[in-house]
Amino acid sequence: MISRRKFVTRLVQGAGASLLLPALQHCRPAETMHAQLGGPDAALGHRLRTMDFGPPVSDTTTGIVIIGGGVAGLSAARYLKRYTSDFTLLELAAEPGGNAIGGQNAVSQYPWGAHYLPLPNDQDPELVAFLQETRVITGYTDGLPVYNEYHLCFDPQERLYINGYWQAGVIPRAGIPASDRDEIERFLALMHEYKEMRGSDGREAFAIPVANSSQDLVLRQLDSISMETFLTQHNFTSPFLRWYVQYCCADDFGSAPADTSAWAGIHYFASRKGKAANAPSDTVLTWPEGNGWLTNQLQTPLREHIHTRSMVHNIQWSHGQVAVTYFDATAGVSRRIRARAAIVATPQFIARRLLPDAPRAFRPEAFQYAPWMVANVTTTAGLTEKRGEPVCWDNVLYGSESLGYVNAVHQKAGLTGAERVLTYYLPLLGTDALARRQLAQRTTADAWTDIILADLRRPHPTIEQYISSVDLWIWGHGMIRPEPGFIWGTDRLQAARPLQDTVYFAHSDLSGLSIFEEAFYQGHTAARQAWQKL
Amino acid sequence: MIRDERNAAGFQWLLLFSVFVVATCGLIYELVAGTLASYLLGDSVTQFSTIIGTYLFAMGIGSYLSRFLKDNLLGWFISIELMVGMVGGFSAGVLFILFEQVVYFRIILYALVVLTGTLVGLELPLLMRILKDRVEFSDLVSRIFTFDYIGALFASLLFPLIFIPYLGLLRTSFFFGFLNVGVAWIVAYRFRHDLRGYRSLRWSAIVCLVLLAAGFALSEHLTRLSESLTYPDKIVYAKSSPYQRIVLTRGGNDWRLFLNGNLQFSSLDEYRYHEALIHPGLSRVHHPQNILVLGGGDGMAVREILKYPSVRKITLVDLDNSITTLFKSNEALMKLNQRSLMSPAVTVVNQDAFVWIREQKNTYDFITIDFPDPSNYSLGKLYTTTFYRELRRLLAPGGCLVIQSTSPFVARKSFWIVDETLRKTGFATLPYHCYVPSFGEWGFVMGFQGELPEDYTLPAGLRFISAATLPPLYSFPPDMDRVASEANTLNNQVLVNTFEKEWADYTR
Repeated sequence: MISRRKFVTRLVQGAGASLLLPALQHCRPAETMHAQLGGPDAALGHRLRTMDFGPPVSDTTTGIVIIGGGVAGLSAARYLKRYTSDFTLLELAAEPGGNAIGGQNAVSQYPWGAHYLPLPNDQDPELVAFLQETRVITGYTDGLPVYNEYHLCFDPQERLYINGYWQAGVIPRAGIPASDRDEIERFLALMHEYKEMRGSDGREAFAIPVANSSQDLVLRQLDSISMETFLTQHNFTSPFLRWYVQYCCADDFGSAPADTSAWAGIHYFASRKGKAANAPSDTVLTWPEGNGWLTNQLQTPLREHIHTRSMVHNIQWSHGQVAVTYFDATAGVSRRIRARAAIVATPQFIARRLLPDAPRAFRPEAFQYAPWMVANVTTTAGLTEKRGEPVCWDNVLYGSESLGYVNAVHQKAGLTGAERVLTYYLPLLGTDALARRQLAQRTTADAWTDIILADLRRPHPTIEQYISSVDLWIWGHGMIRPEPGFIWGTDRLQAARPLQDTVYFAHSDLSGLSIFEEAFYQGHTAARQAWQKL
Repeated sequence: MIRDERNAAGFQWLLLFSVFVVATCGLIYELVAGTLASYLLGDSVTQFSTIIGTYLFAMGIGSYLSRFLKDNLLGWFISIELMVGMVGGFSAGVLFILFEQVVYFRIILYALVVLTGTLVGLELPLLMRILKDRVEFSDLVSRIFTFDYIGALFASLLFPLIFIPYLGLLRTSFFFGFLNVGVAWIVAYRFRHDLRGYRSLRWSAIVCLVLLAAGFALSEHLTRLSESLTYPDKIVYAKSSPYQRIVLTRGGNDWRLFLNGNLQFSSLDEYRYHEALIHPGLSRVHHPQNILVLGGGDGMAVREILKYPSVRKITLVDLDNSITTLFKSNEALMKLNQRSLMSPAVTVVNQDAFVWIREQKNTYDFITIDFPDPSNYSLGKLYTTTFYRELRRLLAPGGCLVIQSTSPFVARKSFWIVDETLRKTGFATLPYHCYVPSFGEWGFVMGFQGELPEDYTLPAGLRFISAATLPPLYSFPPDMDRVASEANTLNNQVLVNTFEKEWADYTR
């Protein structure tokens, strides 16, 4: 057996203070892991607190500056590229992509965060156009998009480990009482009603982007209660159903049903209406590197505009322009860039720090972010399986707080099987996100490995013998949490309001849902507003 | 006085019980060795006879050797029982692990049988000497042999009815080893006051029990090997490559290749299969020059292709270089494929076919696909619209491809799924089938674009395909005829699910 010390090869730690910091750190070998946990970013973090960057050594101009190269920032740049070349994107990490980034080792590429895209709704024309450009959609048959078969999730898609057995599909069915099955059916039927429903204004009750959803007050009121309260009100008590809803909330929001708005919780089930000519509508698009594939497609035509390792630390207005000061970590100097407009494509807890004195009328504490731990567990040939379905793309464990694991090699063409990379997702559920974030930072790599193994040993009792490496990543602020009242409250809309017709905001947290489609929408919307104003 | 008598009686009965256990275990080890030898080497009559004979003879050796053991007979008895437990308990596991070293396998097998037999043979004479002063001789002999034979009956009934079906070979062997050592320990404990060196015996017993228990727990890992080792004929070559277990057997003139336990060909009738795979398609292609073979690392398909003088270049893509190397180096096998893989026209590529074809730009006049049946999701990918679309890109105008498509008799729906998948991808298809005795009814699907000429020119010297036998291959009797089916895609893998079910229903 390989010693634990040996197979935990590295740990990259997302900073608690900033979502943007982790990518500046390089992988640390195992020997320094214990000492370094929570520390690799200390030097840079300290500089951010003391603002010890020195005076800018250069002063340049650009038409529009985009701050942040996650999905929202890249999407904003994609929009601008149609009309102009006069824009610059500043990204703190060495690679753009935000929480959609992926990684790679000798066995496979793998995701570090977001890893799939449900079939998009046809009311999302900008996204559909992007998928056509990238040949994810290869054509149309009978008015329905034909998707590239390399990108549609290969069969078998998902399985659930329950009662000592791998069943097909993630909705609990195998070996559960008939009354629970009935309750699950009743729940799914209710969700289906919401899916078909339109509000009094004629719009879809639940749409993607969220902004297209009905403004019907009766529907919006669902935002004022938690998903847990919603389940209780509708007399859903089955522990199997409750677990399934918990899993779904964790999947999209990283939060427990008690901390999730019922509107958001229902949105998960009722908003996805995409159809395909060559796949059932519940299929997803996925890649071995996860949504890193999408962000790579986004950034490829934009390379010349992207400055990486550039940490913005101040935004000011001067002489009718926006002056952005950033630390160029490659050169180790501070620089200034002046633009006619800026798009701040960072989460609001960062944006707030970049614009400390700006008059933005929202409560910062309304924006809560879920911390996550993601592990890429590389396994060698011979990993033992329990009875039931063979390994799928998505492998979920009933009763676990984790999302289980995604088999990163699943989506490779050709033979796969012997060696795998299992991408294990653990949302750090809990009402007090700050406490969980701090706990996550105190947890050592060995302790994380114990937690992961305790979970994975249930379906794979001897997994330790087959692990060649465990790579960990902590997302301190992994996802915006749509807590009750957040989606249809005023904070979200206030935060999205542009400042002085020159500073625009674009991030999925302004939608309240941390999904690719929302980030993409936010990026385009902000870019359109900024461009039209110019 | 009464206590002493009771003690004496207890002493006797415990020792007789251990005779019973030794007899049961001894016979079990013998049966395990015989079964394993039949599994691995084939020819069960010979294996069982020679193993039983050797075993009984070795017991004789043991009986003879018993005279050299003098002092501390009880200590010897217990030590030997521990040794029997260890040797017998581990015998099956050791034989499994060492089977890869085919050259020495028999020596190891018979050495283990002799060792076990000798140790068991030592036990009865020793026991008789231990008890000879305590029990009337006529009673002693009667009791010892009664228990001995009851044990034998017990073992021979339990072995096939209970242990093999429920525990499997390896665990049975470890289980009895455990039992053997366990009884030895009990005897040692019971007589610890009369026994010299009790402490060391106890520690030996504990170590043995731990090792045997560990062996029992790990048996499953070893047993997985055994599933691929049930062959009727003698194994002449066995190797585990990173991708599969390769086993070659020979029974007289019949050479058979198995991959993961599935028959790939029998040398007696493979010409039927390979002629049917190549000639109906290739004979219709005008002046074929550039040929692609996917799978088929045994070189048999290439052998058939080389019969066309116009062929300039054959590219063979087979994932596993263990196969292509074997068929390029083993004389007997090179006789079968007529050294086809040594031909200067042949280029062997050891790569994943799916990954390889995505990178290709050249076109081929004829493509043949001889992959294993779609028995898992990984193989199922090689039967999808996506894969066939890549092939269409590589097919020259006027060319055609042929896919081995499992048995249309056993897996009728699966066969027609392959046909439908090709059609969905834009090929016109021509399905056909033939009878291969070692396989049964076997199916192929020819795919082409546009028109394929009706006329064809068969090379000389074919043993199965001829102008007369060819036309009937294209007609399907009602029990194999077309059924409506769905196309197999990466995101539905309908073929794997169908295939699995059809073969399971057939072999049930």
